[in-house]
Amino acid sequence: MTAPSPVAGPVIHRKPLDGGKLMLSAYVYGVLLFILLPLVIIIPMSFSPREFLEFPPSGFTLRWYGEYLADRRWQDATILSLKVAVLTSIVATVIGTLTAYALARGRSVFAGVVRLLIVGPIVVPHIALAIALYLIFQRIDLIGTLTGFVAAHVVLALPFVIFTVAAALSRVDADLECAAMVCGASRLSAFRHVTLPMITPAVVSSALFAFIISFDEPVISFFVSSIRQRSLPRRLFEDIEFSLTPIIPAIATLLTLLSVIILVAAWGLQRWEQRRREGAAKS
Amino acid sequence: MTMLARWFRGGRWLSPGAGALLLLPFALVMALAFVYPLFDLLSQGLFAPNFTTAHYQRVFDQPVYLRILWRTLLTAFSVTVLCLVLGFPVAYLLARLQGFKAAVVAACILLPLWSSVLVRTYAWVVMLRREGLVNSGLQSLGLIDAPLKLLYTEGAVLVAMAHVLLPFVVLPIYGTLKNIPPDYERAALVMGAKRFQVFREVILPLSMPGVASGSLMVFLTAIGFYVTPALIGGPQQMMISTLISQQVRELLNWPFASALVGVLLVVVLGIAAVFNRAIGIDRLTGGKA
Amino acid sequence: MHGVSVGIERLKVAYGPVTAVNDVSLDIAPGEFLALLGPSGSGKTTILMTLAGFEHPSAGRILIGSDDVTTRPTNQRNIGMVFQRYSLFPHMSVRDNVAFPLKMRGVAKGERARLAEAALAKVRLADFAGRMPAQLSGGQQQRVALARAIVYEPRVLLMDEPLSALDKNLREEMQLEILRLKEQLGITVVFVTHDQQEALTMADRVAVLSNGQLQQLGSPRDLYEAPANRFVAGFVGEMNFLDVAVVRSGADGAVVRLPGGAQAMLPPAQIAGSVVGEAVLAVRPERLAPVETGGVPVTVEQVVYSGATMLLVARVDGGAEIRARIGTHAGLAPLARGQRIALGWAPDAARLFPPGA
Repeated sequence: MTAPSPVAGPVIHRKPLDGGKLMLSAYVYGVLLFILLPLVIIIPMSFSPREFLEFPPSGFTLRWYGEYLADRRWQDATILSLKVAVLTSIVATVIGTLTAYALARGRSVFAGVVRLLIVGPIVVPHIALAIALYLIFQRIDLIGTLTGFVAAHVVLALPFVIFTVAAALSRVDADLECAAMVCGASRLSAFRHVTLPMITPAVVSSALFAFIISFDEPVISFFVSSIRQRSLPRRLFEDIEFSLTPIIPAIATLLTLLSVIILVAAWGLQRWEQRRREGAAKS
Repeated sequence: MTMLARWFRGGRWLSPGAGALLLLPFALVMALAFVYPLFDLLSQGLFAPNFTTAHYQRVFDQPVYLRILWRTLLTAFSVTVLCLVLGFPVAYLLARLQGFKAAVVAACILLPLWSSVLVRTYAWVVMLRREGLVNSGLQSLGLIDAPLKLLYTEGAVLVAMAHVLLPFVVLPIYGTLKNIPPDYERAALVMGAKRFQVFREVILPLSMPGVASGSLMVFLTAIGFYVTPALIGGPQQMMISTLISQQVRELLNWPFASALVGVLLVVVLGIAAVFNRAIGIDRLTGGKA
Repeated sequence: MHGVSVGIERLKVAYGPVTAVNDVSLDIAPGEFLALLGPSGSGKTTILMTLAGFEHPSAGRILIGSDDVTTRPTNQRNIGMVFQRYSLFPHMSVRDNVAFPLKMRGVAKGERARLAEAALAKVRLADFAGRMPAQLSGGQQQRVALARAIVYEPRVLLMDEPLSALDKNLREEMQLEILRLKEQLGITVVFVTHDQQEALTMADRVAVLSNGQLQQLGSPRDLYEAPANRFVAGFVGEMNFLDVAVVRSGADGAVVRLPGGAQAMLPPAQIAGSVVGEAVLAVRPERLAPVETGGVPVTVEQVVYSGATMLLVARVDGGAEIRARIGTHAGLAPLARGQRIALGWAPDAARLFPPGA
């Protein structure tokens, strides 16, 4: 029997410090700081009690949020943008889903042209489309109208809806619809009972994306707005250069909060779809 | 079988008739609110009312417009380079992380993507003002005595645009890197390569499709970008988008604005088309893991 | 439940310049198990898809029972189908999967559950009704797919290589299961496979296809013992082919000269097609045995022991390889590599084909 070793505890093997990896991490976290800093500093500024922009804030007040909510013009702009965003979301999601389905399950001769058109709103600069629509809308009196705003924003949102739903459809085996049809379902019935439940999270996600794309869209809604009917981004754009009170940071904070909510919701939906596809057991 | 019945006869795939019907709403919306307005706008610069190239000629005859064009391209190029320098390491790290850390970093990239461009640009306006954060920070550190003019400069536009467009370069590169099988790296290490060599000889070439498509995305978006140059740039930094806006809103010069849009579209669509061919070939020869 | 007949009349399926199925006619009797056998590209899957309604014929008719269903949509054909990848709906429970066809037919909820569970009992999965497909093994999923296909008592059951995704042991078990079910239900089955062993063991009759054309339709025994052409002879089971010269042929049979000079005789029943000049002689490995006189002289290359039989691999003087399977205890003298022997067969053990048939 040997005597117990005087060294206490197990021997720990340490990995040698990887200098390269450390530098990389430091650099990347620096870049991430660069990305987040501008967004983050706005938030405390919105609570500042003074009537000019200051960082760090000297106190805490919700006065500017109140001012935003009480101001008639901001209210009008916000409500208009909300209406447009909701309508855009619905219209773009419906049309986009139909289109994605036709591309995924069909063999139409028009598919090539359609695919080209889908990337159109992404490649063409928004300023070009903005003034093109401005020109047309002036002639047919759609400036500042709900129809005008929604039509423009649907065009912008459609590519995102189509890509999202098409990706989800590609993850659903086409044979499943065939199996449903052999079981007696019409194509529509097969879509409703088999395919739609599997792509619902993606459809909802794309509705959320369409909403936020419309709500935050600055360029086209700027040109398509009228004197009376101005979108929230347009009012923001106009006020950014001149307004010096923390009301803009307050609005900006609210908008950022909206983005965070949308992002979290989209992530949650992605997880839901994954669980559904892998057939998680029903409790 | 009647012609009509044949068009709507389904089977494994949607019948051609049903497919066409489903694509109809899309076609209508795009035709009415995208294709037609753009064609109409472009015709303003070419037919006034007879065919003329005068407006297009003006773009290239007058040096001030050429300068603006050149500046736009140069800025877009610089922004792209800056985005690559900042964004590639982020994509690289993100591809190697797992679980919670990866989710946090991903959130940092995605949040700016889905937040308002106005908010992000406004944040830069606030930071770069005379009384803004950057100046007061530099002053309190004792590095400068008087506030620098940061806003309305070339550099400000560059930095702000890079900030806004960074996610567009990170995501494609991340996608490509993620698809490289870890076995490639392991094989190289077994063969005796050092970490840096593995990166240069294996990872970097395979990441090229992502780098190419990300750079293209950023470059094309930067050329036509409006919001950030309009708010952060001054008259000395006018780019083609702000020029177009000025021509329409202040000068009501539709034909010339149309010509400018025409030039912008030719540049953007041309580069996109050329790159599409180039990237397509690249993907086949080396990109796909 | 009794199955109905299935008729395929002069079926042609073409996609532009490519003809996948070329003038195929088949009559399947009620309650019969017909296998569609062939290599990939032979058209067997296309025929099944046309029966199901997923592909449309360019010419010809499809009849189920006495109904002409050629232009009828899939969901109105009242057939059952099992797919290669099971195609169970992942978001529905096993019970809901099986009950789905009943739901499409407007059956009430309680009745649906009862019938679904009865169908699951038939495939011995009654306890799994509440599970999700992802929780089942491959074999179990395929059984659920079977239950779903028969729950509404279709008259015809189509199967598209349903066992190719399973491993060997499971496959044999499932083959018996399917046959048992077919006997129990009396249903007509059309079964696509590329595995000739599977077709021979399961089917009442087999239709062999190649390049979109029907090569032979017959019982497994007919296909094996009397293949109609060179393709079927080579595709079904192992076969040796020898180039021979026809000395004379007539109503009483043919005499051919084998490589090595000896002559062999074939009765008229073993001659497929008209042969004159050059021909191909086909003989199965298990019908070959060493002989003292006559036969084909060969050089022994390998003797492989495989338990019940021995595989003798030898080379004919012209260079062609010939294989013989001889019983281990058939009294064969030990053979050495390079040894010269002659292999022969009974007159009715070989078949004669025109060259290139």
